[in-house]
Amino acid sequence: MKKILLILPLFLLTTICLFFLLFILLKKDPNDPPSALLNKSIPIFSSTNLYNDSEFLESNNLKGQYILINFFASWCAPCRVEHHLFFEIKKQKPELYIIGFSHKDDPNNSKKYLEEEGNPYSFVGLDQDGKIAFEFGVFGLPETFLINNKGKIIFKHTGILTKEIIDNEISKLF
Amino acid sequence: MISLIGFCSLCLSTIFSFVVLIPYSILQIKVKYLFFIFRSSTFLVCVSFVSLIFAYINSDFSNFNVFQNSHSNKPLIYKITGAWGNHEGSILLWVCMISIYGFFYSIFGKSFNDFKITVLKIQSALFIIFALFIIFTSNPFLLNPVLVEEGLGLNPILQDPALAIHPPMLYLGYVGFSLVFSLAIASLLKTNPDQIWIMEIRKWSMISWGFLTAGIALGSYWAYYELGWGGWWFWDPVENISLMPWIAGLALVHSVIMIRGEQAIEKWIIFLSILCFSLSILGTFLVRSGILTSVHSFAADASRGLFILLIFFVTTGFGLLVFLIKSPSKKNDLHLLLINKTSALIINNILMMIAVLTILLGTIYPIIIEVLTNTRISVGGPYFNSTVLPILLPGFLLMSVAPVLSWQTNKIKKFKIYVICFFILSAIVLLQSYFTNFNPWGFIGLILGVWIIFASILSIVLRYKFSITIHYVKTINSFIAHIGVGIMIIGITFSSIYQKEFNFNIAVGEEVILDNDFLKFQDTKIIEEKNYQSLIAIFSLEKKDRIVSYIETGKNYYPVSKTITSEVGIYHDWFKDVYIILGSENNDIWSIRVYLNPLVSFIWIGVFVMIFSSIIAVIKK
Repeated sequence: MKKILLILPLFLLTTICLFFLLFILLKKDPNDPPSALLNKSIPIFSSTNLYNDSEFLESNNLKGQYILINFFASWCAPCRVEHHLFFEIKKQKPELYIIGFSHKDDPNNSKKYLEEEGNPYSFVGLDQDGKIAFEFGVFGLPETFLINNKGKIIFKHTGILTKEIIDNEISKLF
Repeated sequence: MISLIGFCSLCLSTIFSFVVLIPYSILQIKVKYLFFIFRSSTFLVCVSFVSLIFAYINSDFSNFNVFQNSHSNKPLIYKITGAWGNHEGSILLWVCMISIYGFFYSIFGKSFNDFKITVLKIQSALFIIFALFIIFTSNPFLLNPVLVEEGLGLNPILQDPALAIHPPMLYLGYVGFSLVFSLAIASLLKTNPDQIWIMEIRKWSMISWGFLTAGIALGSYWAYYELGWGGWWFWDPVENISLMPWIAGLALVHSVIMIRGEQAIEKWIIFLSILCFSLSILGTFLVRSGILTSVHSFAADASRGLFILLIFFVTTGFGLLVFLIKSPSKKNDLHLLLINKTSALIINNILMMIAVLTILLGTIYPIIIEVLTNTRISVGGPYFNSTVLPILLPGFLLMSVAPVLSWQTNKIKKFKIYVICFFILSAIVLLQSYFTNFNPWGFIGLILGVWIIFASILSIVLRYKFSITIHYVKTINSFIAHIGVGIMIIGITFSSIYQKEFNFNIAVGEEVILDNDFLKFQDTKIIEEKNYQSLIAIFSLEKKDRIVSYIETGKNYYPVSKTITSEVGIYHDWFKDVYIILGSENNDIWSIRVYLNPLVSFIWIGVFVMIFSSIIAVIKK
């Protein structure tokens, strides 16, 4: 009994280290958490058009087409880095409806940002209070979601998109 | 050039440490020369660290580390602290401290030279392991391959006085346990050590624990006013892993008081000493490998993670293995009674161990689950609040009377007075809670805090002896420490349970009501600072036409890293803090969030009392 008590800490240590080792070797990245919403319907939201106060986008009206949703902001430096890629996606898949949500941003700054970087979005919605991002479980900016024609979220990516991600992951999904 | 000096002295220092490790049978030199070699190694590693600081002060961007983490526009103080505000520099600081602790031990250690040398050898081995880690995976002296004029800046959220000294304090605590570890292992390796090592463990664990307390409190204070979340403790993984060695250290400093020659407790002390340092390395591993995400996360790097994991496994495994093989076997039974001091201390130790295990489980559970099932979960505040707090409650209750218990008998002196006082106090607190805002946790916290303070003061008074000498303060030191805990418990209870949150949309010149006070939005202004631009909103806190204080809150914009930080405005009062966070602006109407945090100051006062008490405990009689 006494021996067991003395061995127990060593045993615990080995087990814990083993899990850490597996965690590192399996290349789990804590900065890229899977969304709880993956394979679920998109949350209900309503958003105003950045350029036109009286035009609304309702989540109910979005079914029946593939949609790419991108959360961006003028204060988000990494967003600028990935921004040009949306033009490429648009070129590859002209039928894709791309929504950009200006997240917790001043509308004027967003407009300026889109003037400087160009506007690849089919619709730019306002998410000034961050409510829509909250509904989507956004982890950090930039974050991108792909929604299929049944209104289900089938892909999400936190952080800067790359050409590889678009070619290897997004394009294969539809 | 300065990078070269730094790197060479680090390597030399490592070589010197290797020399210390050579067994006496091969290297037959006098003891004083061995001490000299060890101290030279300490000197060299300090030179290495100072040269890194110099590189930061001179904004020497030919050093890659300086280039990545500094900027010539940064204020001098943050240039200096930038040296340890990043992974490489902070590990160098860690290594430097391992050596410095050994240095001070070589001077102040009271054991025989034979024992001292064993301790220094283990300390050198630890030094070498971490130094190799720096040299091979985290070298702060790498040269910048590109010629640049300007650096990339430091994370603006880290440009803060509390945070500048938070890591060194925390490291002094963590690394102090390395010496405790070395002492414990040395006592196992030497077959017949004298008993001085226990006194030495007592002293050094007290010092480390004091630093760790200060480090955690500083980090917590920083989170309170910098992050703008309204609280001061978030059960963030990095906070949890600093709490584990803290609790284990607390168990250790309590265990060393109760030793009366019992073998079982001696074993237990050795085990705790190993545990404290292991948990400290575990903390570093989890933070530095980027396995956990939190406000502290640094860039993740798999190879570094593997290396630290190896260090953690080898060090802890070695310690536990020696413990397993060399464990003392002399029999000397514990003097246990229903309620004497020894049994109270044992219960307290058991409770603390359960608390450590609970926190450990909560912290690594997400990792285990992700490896097994590939789903991500997060364990947060609710788990820790509902598991750790109930475990600690009986410990707190025990704490109020433990110092007056006897070693030998089952009786508490003047037992009746304590019981009567306890019931009177409970009745008062119950009435107070009942007529205000009754909350069971608030009631429990308040009664525990008040009772601990009251019982400790009562015990001091009942001694009928007063004098103002260090010796007297030392004899009542345990009561002082416990009064500190009591004050802290009251602060924690009130600030977390009776916190109030308000959200307002407010324009300049308008006024809102906060309980009994008014908050008026006076003005906004923009100030250009050296490395940032700051927008400040000025509020005035008013009480019936009288201005109590002005509170400034705002946002800073750092052009180099293109980030915005929000600067919380806090009005400190002994009984409550008014905590304002500036939100966004829309048509000149600003959204603000205001927290009323009652009795937060008690937490910091409690911490001060505890640190004061640990200083008293270290001072010689």
